[in-house]
Amino acid sequence: MTINKVNTHIVPIEFEYHAPGSLDEAVALLEKYGEDAKILAGGTDLIPHMKQRKTEPKHIVNIKKIPELACIEETPDGIKIGALAKLRAVELSPQIREKVPMLSEAAGSIGSVQIRNLGTIGGNICNASPSADMATALMALEATVHVYGKDGAKEYPIAEFFQGRSDVSLERGELLTGFTVPYPPEGAGSAFEKVGWTTFDIATVNVAAVLTLKGGKIDHCSIALGACSPAPIKVALAEEILKGKEPTDEVLEEAMEFVAACVEPRKRWRRAPPEYRRRSSQALAMDAVGRAVEQARRHQ
Amino acid sequence: MSFPNMLYGRVLKSPHAHARIKAMDVSGAEAMGAVTLTPEEVPDVTYCPRLVSIPSATYKDWKVLTDKPHYVGEAIGAVAAESEEEAQKALEAIEVDYEVLGASFDALESMKPGAEPIHDEIYLEDDLLKVENNVGCQLEITEGDPKALEDADVVIERTYRTNRRYHNQLETKSVMVRPEADGGISVWSTTQTIHNTRLLLHDIYGIPMGKIRVYKVALGGSFGSSIHVNPVVNVAVGLALKSRRPVKLSYTREEDIRDHCAYQMIFKLKLGAYKNGKLAGGRLEAYLDIGAHQIQAYPLLGCVVGWWVSLYKLPYKDYVGKAVYTNKVPSCAFRGYGNPQISWVVETMMDELAGKIGVDPLDFRLNNYIGEGDIFWGQGPSVKSIIQSCGVEEILTRGAEMVDWYNRPNPEEQTGRYRRGWGVGRGYHTSSAGAPVPSSIVDFGGAMLKMNEDGTFDYVSALMDHGCGTQDAHIKIVAEELCVTADMVNIIRADTGTTVYDVCTHASRGVYSGGGAALKVAMKVKEKIRDFAGKILDAYPHAVRIRYDEEREQAVVFAEGIEGREVTYREIAETARHKNWGTAAAVESYRQPSCPPHFTGYFVEVEVDTWTGKVKLLRVVAGADIGTVINPMLAAGQVHGGFAQGWSMTVLEDLPYDPDDGDLVNRGSVANYKVPTTMDMLDLDDLTVFFADTYEPTGPFGAKGIGEGALNPVAGTVANAIQNALGVRFFQLPITPIRILEALREKEG
Ligand SMILES: Cc1cc2nc3c(=O)[nH]c(=O)nc-3n(C[C@H](O)[C@H](O)[C@H](O)COP(=O)(O)OP(=O)(O)OC[C@H]3O[C@@H](n4cnc5c(N)ncnc54)[C@H](O)[C@@H]3O)c2cc1C
Repeated sequence: MTINKVNTHIVPIEFEYHAPGSLDEAVALLEKYGEDAKILAGGTDLIPHMKQRKTEPKHIVNIKKIPELACIEETPDGIKIGALAKLRAVELSPQIREKVPMLSEAAGSIGSVQIRNLGTIGGNICNASPSADMATALMALEATVHVYGKDGAKEYPIAEFFQGRSDVSLERGELLTGFTVPYPPEGAGSAFEKVGWTTFDIATVNVAAVLTLKGGKIDHCSIALGACSPAPIKVALAEEILKGKEPTDEVLEEAMEFVAACVEPRKRWRRAPPEYRRRSSQALAMDAVGRAVEQARRHQ
Repeated sequence: MSFPNMLYGRVLKSPHAHARIKAMDVSGAEAMGAVTLTPEEVPDVTYCPRLVSIPSATYKDWKVLTDKPHYVGEAIGAVAAESEEEAQKALEAIEVDYEVLGASFDALESMKPGAEPIHDEIYLEDDLLKVENNVGCQLEITEGDPKALEDADVVIERTYRTNRRYHNQLETKSVMVRPEADGGISVWSTTQTIHNTRLLLHDIYGIPMGKIRVYKVALGGSFGSSIHVNPVVNVAVGLALKSRRPVKLSYTREEDIRDHCAYQMIFKLKLGAYKNGKLAGGRLEAYLDIGAHQIQAYPLLGCVVGWWVSLYKLPYKDYVGKAVYTNKVPSCAFRGYGNPQISWVVETMMDELAGKIGVDPLDFRLNNYIGEGDIFWGQGPSVKSIIQSCGVEEILTRGAEMVDWYNRPNPEEQTGRYRRGWGVGRGYHTSSAGAPVPSSIVDFGGAMLKMNEDGTFDYVSALMDHGCGTQDAHIKIVAEELCVTADMVNIIRADTGTTVYDVCTHASRGVYSGGGAALKVAMKVKEKIRDFAGKILDAYPHAVRIRYDEEREQAVVFAEGIEGREVTYREIAETARHKNWGTAAAVESYRQPSCPPHFTGYFVEVEVDTWTGKVKLLRVVAGADIGTVINPMLAAGQVHGGFAQGWSMTVLEDLPYDPDDGDLVNRGSVANYKVPTTMDMLDLDDLTVFFADTYEPTGPFGAKGIGEGALNPVAGTVANAIQNALGVRFFQLPITPIRILEALREKEG
């Protein structure tokens, strides 16, 4: 029973606060305190969770003093985005808007300007919420995550980062340092769509799509779906249906059946029943793919 | 706000929807140095927190702290400590042993034989009453000949269910109490009525009234959630008296959302009409889910029937209203006081009836509305008066022209993904609960006004301003009457000790009724100014005239046509002082002889995405008849806000319960209680507000209210627009995307 305990105003728990100035210092602290420590980035997920007593860390490790983690820069492999880049910075970055506009669109759909000015892209992913908007977008963009731990840096595809609901593949002492988002193929179109009950709301369903056209037919195709399963997923079957075909209404509708089929109902789904998610995931995927096709046509 | 040496209070709340406390151990909290308060330590008084009706119409079933909680969130204990964090820790250290009792979360279930009794006994005034079938109070009224309904050509009967809404006012319910050296207390709280707060604290704690000073505090919003004295106030007084230190108690949002909400209502409505487009009559059964306590549900039963029968002429009307206890958060007034709920139902059925008899829904309304010269009893059967100003026809015909009403879409012709529809709806609300004779509702206010020695004025009133600019309107009324500029009238910070009684800022009475008191004192003061000026000018007081002189920045009293016979307010006030005539001042109480309806009407265009179920607003035209418009910007602001709240009521808000533990499904999280943001509303360029050209003879300078009428017709209008787009009617609120998709699946497969 939570009524006398849970609120979003008082933090009655005591913790020790650390503000390491380097990655190695941060890793040392995380190694030392393990489960007792929590990383603080923008705090828009962590602080409410502490107030709600979902977590009662004994140590808070603020990583915002580590200088290199907030970068947004173009590299040969793609755009490199530091874990501490603010959602608002991702939304407004000229490089991101030019090279991966869908990521900017997805960032801009999150919460409010105030939330986006605090929240970071890394926090959005590490929070491991099935409805995290950045997660769905980065899945469709097939981003690589960069992780740092006591054995130094490593990287792997973002799909491997999610370990189901509320769980990511970080090990003791590790932290996420950022992403490389590969440049989509020449002439690609992309779009992000989400439905929530208000503009301020988290997604009931979100969809991200990236595709290219070749001779009027869909060539490259990547579609990700969020909030419909324990973690965002790629809708491989729908991608397969679309590849090599002209994006007619019939083809799209056929593909959308596979999007709806990905909805994996949870026992206590308070926001919306599976039926609603199936129907609206189809609608959003139609919209996202439709908009991406139009964009790709314009790029030709 | 804070005081030196102040403690922070926290309330211990029942985690069970219905239970008996077998034991409470506060030693852990006390060991931490906290002051604790248990049910035995507060006066054993059963009270009603809302004191707007007279005692013989007031049902009482509340305790300051109870040992038999009836809903998740009811106050059972309290602590006070040096900081909020410490108070929170102390709260968690209290151990309680409960005997959990059966609970009910639905009004209809609650009334069934065998349902767990929620209250065995309650009080009506001072008489003990046995509660049967969990019905807290009820009202039945019949007027006219039932044959009228029997003879109707078309009859529709349906059951409707409204949502449960949270007020979501800006500040959570909060209070600061300072014990005083003389044994009294000073109180600063979120309230719509300082005088009723004092009355209740006197009743509960027995402190002489003069020693209880309740101060006016600026509010950011309330919407009816503090017409009654909020439970935190009574608890904080207990803590302050025990600790002998100032105590601040401010609910968290999670507590606030489990502290008050609007009435959820279940209606069975039957309406009949003749082929000639006239209504024949109707029957209404209303079941008010009042939650676990009464906050004067009885006058609401009267209002529900009043709102219903004062919308349209019904030759026959038959009504049964029951206020039913459930183990949920107690419901209280929420902007419109039942009117938005019943208006949604009636406006929905009016459209359906019009369709059945083949009349345009707009014409059907024009054929049947109650207007000028008709008897009006919106505030219930004991508050009747005759309507003297009415802009219904102007609102409906002007609005219809603006939106090209008669060419709106036909739902049967729409098949695509996005479908558009227009809806119309109308309504009204009373301005105050005034009437020519006393009723069971108290409605009068008062004010004090005095001229200062520089010719400016001090205005003192107990009437609360909830951020709506009510006091600003008073200032304009006073300034207008005295021929000075508004900045020459000061609003003085006031409390119960420095003001005369005002019942409450509610029932859209702030401008009409409160402003009536302001006008009355202004007229009295003006009379004195004329007397003084008459002496100075050697002129007859009733013959002198007053104008404002911009150059001198003074009002000037003059004898017309006679050169040199003029004197400024400043000179008058100075002379009165030097010659010991006294102050030009007045203190008056005022009761309005009527409660004129202010009428409103809406035309709304929506677009429904039939794949996601989302409804988008395209255009809104709102017409309002509020008599003379005292402040056009603030009045339009009331319409904007009323529309937003009504839109939210129609498509978003609800507070469902989890029957497993009796708590809200959202567990108190306001982030999971959806209301539209500015980004979800339409651009103000697409929301047109116009005012009908009317004058209310009983209102100050012809004014009526606006606050509640702005909201009342919205749900019906939006629902009708959705119907016009989809060809589907909804009988339950809110009309969410989920429900829309379900309904479309049923209709279209
Ligand atoms: C009102 C409101 C609205 C919101 N709306 C949305 C929305 O529309 N869409 C959406 O997706 N989210 C939304 N959120 C959630 C939240 O704002 C985002 O998920 C945000 O990106 C979190 O980032 P942060 O930096 O604030 O994370 P924090 O709260 O600082 O951290 C979140 C979690 O990740 C861990 N963490 C953070 N950084 C790292 C790192 N570099 N390495 C390892 N672990 C790390 C933290 O320990 C913590 O457990 C909303 C939140 C609020 C309060």
